[in-house]
Amino acid sequence: MTLSFLSPSRCQPGTTTSPLRRVLEDVDPAVVQDLWLDGKVEIRGDLGLVEPLAGEELVRLSPHRGFLFTQDDPAGAVERLRAQGVLAYDATGALAGFVVEGERLMRRLTDLDLDKLPTAGPFARVNAIVLRDNGERFRVYVAQEVGHDVALAVLDAVAGLERSS
Amino acid sequence: MRLPPQPSELIDRSSRVIFTFDGLHYGGHPGDTIGSALYANGQRIFSRSFKYHRPRGLLCCSGHCPNCLMTVDGVPNVRVCVEPIRQDAVVESQNVLGSLNRDLLSATDKFGGPFTPVGFYYRTMIRPRRLWPLYEKVLRNLAGLGKVGGATGHARRYDIEHRRARVLVVGGGRAGREAATAAAAEGPGVVLVDEDARHAGVELEGVEVLAPARALGIWEGNLVPVDCGTVLYRYRAERIVVATGALEQPLLFPGNDLVGVMLPSAARRLVRDFAIKPGSRAVVLAADERELEIADDLREAGVEVPRVVDLREMPLSRIDADSHKGRLHGVRLEGRGIRCDLLVVSAGRQPAYSLLAQAGGKVEYDPIKGIFVPTDLPESIEATGSVTGEGCMTVNPYRAEARKGHADKCFVCICEDVTTKDVSRAVAEGFDSIELSKRYTTVTMGPCQGKLCQLPSIRLYARSTGMSEASVGTTTARPPWAPVELGLLAGPHFETARRTAIHFRHEEVGARMMWAGPWKRPYAYGEKPEDEVRAVHESLGLIDVSTLGKILVEGPDAAALLERLYPNRFADMRPGRIRYGVLTSDGGRIMDDGTIGRLADDLYYVTTTSTGADSVTAWFEWWNAVWGYEAEIVNVTGALAALNLAGPLAREALQRLTEADVSDDELKYLDAKEIEVAGIPCLALRIGFVGELGYELHFPSPAGEFLWDRLVEGGARPFGLEPQRILRLEKGHVIIGQDTDSESNLLSANMAWLPKLEKEDFVGKLAVEHFSEREDRERLVGFAMEDDVVPAEGAQVVIEGQPAGRVTSARRSEVVGAVIGLAWLPPDRTSDGTRFEIRVDRRILGARVTSGAFYDSAGERMRS
Repeated sequence: MTLSFLSPSRCQPGTTTSPLRRVLEDVDPAVVQDLWLDGKVEIRGDLGLVEPLAGEELVRLSPHRGFLFTQDDPAGAVERLRAQGVLAYDATGALAGFVVEGERLMRRLTDLDLDKLPTAGPFARVNAIVLRDNGERFRVYVAQEVGHDVALAVLDAVAGLERSS
Repeated sequence: MRLPPQPSELIDRSSRVIFTFDGLHYGGHPGDTIGSALYANGQRIFSRSFKYHRPRGLLCCSGHCPNCLMTVDGVPNVRVCVEPIRQDAVVESQNVLGSLNRDLLSATDKFGGPFTPVGFYYRTMIRPRRLWPLYEKVLRNLAGLGKVGGATGHARRYDIEHRRARVLVVGGGRAGREAATAAAAEGPGVVLVDEDARHAGVELEGVEVLAPARALGIWEGNLVPVDCGTVLYRYRAERIVVATGALEQPLLFPGNDLVGVMLPSAARRLVRDFAIKPGSRAVVLAADERELEIADDLREAGVEVPRVVDLREMPLSRIDADSHKGRLHGVRLEGRGIRCDLLVVSAGRQPAYSLLAQAGGKVEYDPIKGIFVPTDLPESIEATGSVTGEGCMTVNPYRAEARKGHADKCFVCICEDVTTKDVSRAVAEGFDSIELSKRYTTVTMGPCQGKLCQLPSIRLYARSTGMSEASVGTTTARPPWAPVELGLLAGPHFETARRTAIHFRHEEVGARMMWAGPWKRPYAYGEKPEDEVRAVHESLGLIDVSTLGKILVEGPDAAALLERLYPNRFADMRPGRIRYGVLTSDGGRIMDDGTIGRLADDLYYVTTTSTGADSVTAWFEWWNAVWGYEAEIVNVTGALAALNLAGPLAREALQRLTEADVSDDELKYLDAKEIEVAGIPCLALRIGFVGELGYELHFPSPAGEFLWDRLVEGGARPFGLEPQRILRLEKGHVIIGQDTDSESNLLSANMAWLPKLEKEDFVGKLAVEHFSEREDRERLVGFAMEDDVVPAEGAQVVIEGQPAGRVTSARRSEVVGAVIGLAWLPPDRTSDGTRFEIRVDRRILGARVTSGAFYDSAGERMRS
């Protein structure tokens, strides 16, 4: 068994779509940018064994559990990581992801300490992994099955901020 | 009538603001509150009291008391004394029948007093019991505050914002501002919160000032929600400085709630902030220098002040207010009458310690000053200014209760219309602690939350019981410290649904969606679910089962872990095979079910019920940690979409989309195999819940719509949950949680074949062994109705006229030709063909036990 049935990248081109497609299709990416093409790999085991490559980012959620975000083929990363001695699972299809800009907008959506990212915690009433890139650019990953509603909540918060400002 | 311009007035006389009050137009100036504008226009009665419907006028002018509650633009219970005036606002009085001036319900005050003592509804309206709904309706109409209109909840937008502060200062008075400034000198992150709109423009270097804003409470972790109108700021502060000051306390005397009785700060605000003359002739009774200064303000405003009493020097043994139509028209001090239309009274100032008490500080009585003061504050909480007791004291000058021969009431709690008599009666009835008395009388439980009635009620209680104030103590301080709109607490309207990757395809073809636990799922795609059932039996159906929980268990101890978690065996399975499993709790009760496929020696693929993924994952992880196994548990529910292709044409349809051999030789019943379907990598499971040849395809969720479309193009007819329920019932398949409950066990649920008691151990083994040694109390069986009537789920089973069980599922089945179902029956009534009865509406209808499946009992179609 290869677990390839977990990997969207193993599907033929043109067969996959973003869980946020319908809610974000008319939204300016400067407001909310869809990250569904990003590779996400869940890792179990000794994270010290993991050596991220260029374009990869390791987020540690606990000593033995983390996520590797990659711009490359996540299925390839899974094979490489398993060879390095950890268990890895392609979670690309499991998570919806998007970029939001602005600390104030984030504060409307999460009570996480934005100075202590990345971390996992509540975002728009669901669990999320939240990363801060630089300045006020944040990446948020949530379970894909709630992604549509979370994206709606983000857009609603944007509208709320616009109204109050 | 306005006074000439005052040095500190807040109003802008150069422009006018028009609003309506009870249908009439009123004018004011920018800077006015709705209350001040109404007062300037001659309005004196602002509300009717909660229970007796007595007229009430401005008392505190600070947003603390209930006397000015009105409905503003549809929002009930707005304190208009602090609500800024705005153009075209629609202001309405509330809790009246008629008008504010002529409230027909005020008859309660005139005639109802003797019949409506405290707690009367507990005693006088309990019989006959069937009339309670009527009593309740009447009481709710007679008493209460504003009414929430149907559209009110959606009229305003509310937001919640999570913020952090190094130092959060609550209170913008002198002490608060000094504390904020000092904190700002040490670094950034200082926020000052004040409820007074007058502080809105205050600028302090390095300090963010929020005003008007109310700190609602202090929770664990220094969480302080701050009400800023339509945004709730949830602050987490490293340090909190409470500078909430002190509150003027009312005096207790007969007629102390009359229109014209006012606290000194209220009179001061009317004069200084809004340039309004509060009355023509005033008497001042006060207990500190600041309060006594009001006499000078009044005189400067042209008010005649015939008498000023410093209660510290001249304690009064008797005060009686005289009224005409609810309005003050005189006061008698020690029996000597003075004509007046304004009585400015205060017993002194009590620290506003509530937030500190909520934060965990202690509160102790200072018998010298006659006040409760906060002590022993938590490490990160500080107090400064009057809230510490600095400069505060109160007097307790006389025996307060209304005397014989005096008609008027003496209120200890004006919010809830609790009189001194009520408190005395509660004590006499045995409510011998302040907490119990509070619950019985509701004193301190009204809109002011004890700001004006806590101290007077404690004093009254102390005197009634012969205890000291220190012994009586205070009631528990609970949030919210200030009233808050429920919409603000709720925040933006937002209800998350879990949607499968194929959700919108279902909507696009007109599926009726329904909640299934946290998921949205298709109920059916057309008006006739039986058509979808027929398609599955006769040709080909397709159902989205992505909601199934999906868990990978991997590691050297994966087999051992599952072997101990489940009552049946999984270590002896060959890779590529699937087995049904039911999880039991420690007590042997049924928790969840699903299939377990062995994908490799050290890798299992577990499915759970649609609502069970998270709890089963947690259950697995907990036991894995307890037993110390080397196994990883990964919930991949969201990563995978899942489709069940079912029907006699399923193999043919699947074969057209894959190069893999899906014949019965290569993919047998209960086989699991990785194959590619229409270019999508899938885990194909040869299983069936609906009784026909079926393949469950699990594959990356982003390809959900694509593969769904290909299968539908291939001739599969979508079917929803309702057809699925009919189909599974025909097979007698149980739905955990629908047909079982928290008491059900494997033996009573007719699954005695499943537990392998010869195993060394599994979770719940002892209990299952115990169950096997005793007679069941009830057993789950199939049944067929004698009539073509579908009983409701939960319908009562009746045997010899007595309730004896319940129906858990029932549907009409075309293929069986009868209404069939599952029900819990006494064990001695579960043999095949036994007749019993079911109550349907008001009829008793017959049914017969049917053991085994109703359809294809040998399972040949699933295995074909």
